[in-house]
Amino acid sequence: MQLEENVHIALHALLDHKFRSFLTMLGIIFGVASVIAMLSIGEGAKREAIAKYQDLGVSNVIVREKKMTSAELEEVRSKFSPGLSLSDAAAIMDVVPDVEQIAPQAEKEAEVKFADKSARSTVIGITPTFIKILNYETENGGFITQEQYDAKAKVCILGAGLARLFFPDSDPLGQMVKIEDQWLEVIGVMKPKALFTETVGELSSRDLNNDVYLPLSTFNTRFMKENVLSSEIQQITIKVKHSDRLPETSSLIRSLLHRHHFNNEDFNIVIPYELLKQEEKERQIYNILLGAIAAISLIVGGIGIMNIMLATVMERTREIGIRRAIGARKADIMSQFVTEAVALSITGGIIGVILGVTLSLSITWFTDVTTYIQLYSVFVAFAFSVLVGISFGYLPARNAANLKPIESIRYE
Amino acid sequence: MLIEIKKLDKDYVMGDIVVPALMDININIAQNEYVAIMGPSGSGKSTLMNILGCLDTPSRGEYLFNGVDVNSLDDDHLSIMRNKEIGFIFQTFNLLPKLSSLHNVELPLIYAGYSKDERFERAREALRRVGLEDRMMHKPSELSGGQRQRVAVARALVTKPGILLADEPTGALDSKTGVEIMALFDELHREGNTLIVITHEREIAEYSRRIIYIKDGRIFSDEPNPKKI
Repeated sequence: MQLEENVHIALHALLDHKFRSFLTMLGIIFGVASVIAMLSIGEGAKREAIAKYQDLGVSNVIVREKKMTSAELEEVRSKFSPGLSLSDAAAIMDVVPDVEQIAPQAEKEAEVKFADKSARSTVIGITPTFIKILNYETENGGFITQEQYDAKAKVCILGAGLARLFFPDSDPLGQMVKIEDQWLEVIGVMKPKALFTETVGELSSRDLNNDVYLPLSTFNTRFMKENVLSSEIQQITIKVKHSDRLPETSSLIRSLLHRHHFNNEDFNIVIPYELLKQEEKERQIYNILLGAIAAISLIVGGIGIMNIMLATVMERTREIGIRRAIGARKADIMSQFVTEAVALSITGGIIGVILGVTLSLSITWFTDVTTYIQLYSVFVAFAFSVLVGISFGYLPARNAANLKPIESIRYE
Repeated sequence: MLIEIKKLDKDYVMGDIVVPALMDININIAQNEYVAIMGPSGSGKSTLMNILGCLDTPSRGEYLFNGVDVNSLDDDHLSIMRNKEIGFIFQTFNLLPKLSSLHNVELPLIYAGYSKDERFERAREALRRVGLEDRMMHKPSELSGGQRQRVAVARALVTKPGILLADEPTGALDSKTGVEIMALFDELHREGNTLIVITHEREIAEYSRRIIYIKDGRIFSDEPNPKKI
């Protein structure tokens, strides 16, 4: 029997009972839609996490000064801890074996002014190694050179947001901005960074696009510390050669700093890669749960199809008898009803794909949850719906094929 | 010989009881015969028709169709047999209500695996033969009883089967339309077709050339119809 005829019969049967067919397909529709929406949310979260940790550097170890009240600060100083310092950075570079690059940085909250505009921003003193370790790029101008660093040049690089605020229409390069009582020349603008929306360890969430970068040497000679007891630097970013040795390297750094700080716990170590792994693991459990829900929904949808197909076979007993009498083989009847079940599930699958894609897009549109639809997830969901049609259509179709022609042709 | 039936029995098993429906049936039917199988209800004539039409198999005995032992065929081959060699005409027409006349007539050809164009040509030819070429796109509900039975006859003819097997063909028709259908059967017989009509009505049996009378599962008489010789 020809496939074309089967499809013809199936579509007619489907259209003859539009409402019933629609109700039957609902399970498949929601199953497929939820698979697609779920996978797109999972993928969106994954990509966001990867982007976030890539900004921090997946082969980096970040040592950061602990946030302390002035009382706590006084206490650790009285216990001889000098706080994070350039000599810590030098010691790590000298002692720890697997280190490739190191970038110390000092930070300070300050008012940045240009003409009549001003903004509260984080001023960061950095070394030329900074851009080699962290995932930063300038979109305009250049980065701090070794010469500028050595000369303690009064230059700075603006975050993208700050550049847009101060210089909406004009070229920022060569302009002078004022930070506290110092005039600095703008030599570059950073590429826009994604919002750092959540706190990672000691790294609190903020808009990185409002930062200003200048040579650490300039920072230390031209600007006052927030507090006389403040540490020399606030963060050391260490890039390791082998990311599989991150745990050992970081514990070595920890014990080294411990000794340097006379056993004062005034710093924290963040390993972005470890956090990424941990987050992935948490998300996996969540994904399995959602996957199970979607699978249950598809199975329930399949049972719906089976139920309606059993009823259809019953209703069309006489038709089956007639077809058998004029020469349909069991296999012909079987394929006719399997095709019908598959037509139901494919139609449901198509509607489900449309609904799922719409759902994902509107989630991104109306909330701040990122979604990303992968083509394979659409195929997987669709293939599943076809599989459900075949497997749940099989039993009713076999019932139909096994009806006795003599009895079914007289069925009223 | 087209049909050879020797010492055929058919039993029905109802729980523990075996009910004999046909006993010791011996019939030979040649090409282009026109046979009526007559008998009161419950005589076993429907059982005989089911066996002749390859819808059912005998319990014992032999049924050769064109030399082929029908008893030895499996379900698939019985289906092929029904498709190619038997043209059924039922009392209640048994057309598929949602399909056009043309599509109804095409159905056996679909199962026989004909191409679309061939199907259309042969189905149209069959409908022309029964005088319904202008009703090809009508559904059964849009046709009169007599027209429906003509579509059924066209469906039976379309595969050019070995026998046409009609079960009470006029049972659902008024007497005038019934006469028209029987006249059509006469023509088909003259054109060389082999016809077997199952009926309980004497007047319908009178159209045939040979009448087999069945009573209580046995052949009571098997004689030429004197009025047609």
